[in-house]
Amino acid sequence: MRYHSIYKVPQGKLLKISLIYNQPDRTIHQVRITGDFFAYPEEAVELIEQALEYAIFERDHLMTKIQSTIRTQKIQFIGVDPEGLTQAILNCKP
Amino acid sequence: MSEQWRLLLTGGNTAFVNMAVDKAILVAHSEGKVPPTVRFYSWVPPAISIGYFQSLLEEIDIDACKKFGVDYVRRITGGGAVFHEKELTYSIVIAESHPLIPKNILNSYERICNALIRGLQQLGIHGTYAPINDIVVDGKKISGNAQTRKMNTVLQHGTILLDVDVETMFSLLKVPNEKIKDKMITDVKRRVTSVHHVLGTHVGFDQVAAAMKQGFEEEFLVTLVKGSLTSEEKKLARKFEKECFSAFEWNHRR
Repeated sequence: MRYHSIYKVPQGKLLKISLIYNQPDRTIHQVRITGDFFAYPEEAVELIEQALEYAIFERDHLMTKIQSTIRTQKIQFIGVDPEGLTQAILNCKP
Repeated sequence: MSEQWRLLLTGGNTAFVNMAVDKAILVAHSEGKVPPTVRFYSWVPPAISIGYFQSLLEEIDIDACKKFGVDYVRRITGGGAVFHEKELTYSIVIAESHPLIPKNILNSYERICNALIRGLQQLGIHGTYAPINDIVVDGKKISGNAQTRKMNTVLQHGTILLDVDVETMFSLLKVPNEKIKDKMITDVKRRVTSVHHVLGTHVGFDQVAAAMKQGFEEEFLVTLVKGSLTSEEKKLARKFEKECFSAFEWNHRR
């Protein structure tokens, strides 16, 4: 089932998340991150989306996946941070 | 003798051409074929640009854009949706390694915004940098800016609002909840200003462009020398216009 959230990162930008959540195994099957934030390089956000596919819908797990991708891809966010992104995703939960 | 940068005055163009020209300059400069470049331009017809990460369908009322003859385009820079009508748009393209450009991204936003603030001072307007990417006058936004870094090159573009038409802007943008549209319009009117509103008189594009030219020259201690796009940049721009910025796949990718 598809869920959405809109989350204003404290002192930051607006994040809009759309994701498909699979209730039986508590995983994300697809996530799309949109909003008016900045990321360098821009294309790397798609790698975060890919990294979150089949991730368990749980704060620590999501945060680890996001931080790991940021570190390996050398992504620099402005207006959003791993905590904000994790929170925006968690806000999708019904 | 001060360093010379290129100044481009490309006038009004479609949204697709404008974004294609910025990208073409970025590519040409990254290959060392053109000097650091500052460009001033406008949008004909008026257009909405959305940030790289925004969803086109969530941000823009496409039917309203078609009805009012307004173009729409996705930028290669992040940030939010902007209605480009009564404004001066600038872009600056310069190597990341240039000693005048801070390595830190936020610091480089501030440095480039300082050039615009100096330009506003020429017009008698006291603006201040408001992180992340705005310039404000008495707390109200008069300029929004967005930067990307690709191929070891910085491209920052942004607007100086000459006048604001919030009602038209909201007729073209989607709002999350129609019931609060009137409140949002009131809020934006309270938070946004323009050269016209601050000075109480209309100031033309050319006068603002001249002020901004001086602002860039003073901030960076360079001379902006009027030039034109190279034939290679024009060719690149036509390619980017066709293959990217006017393409459905690009604009609807999110």
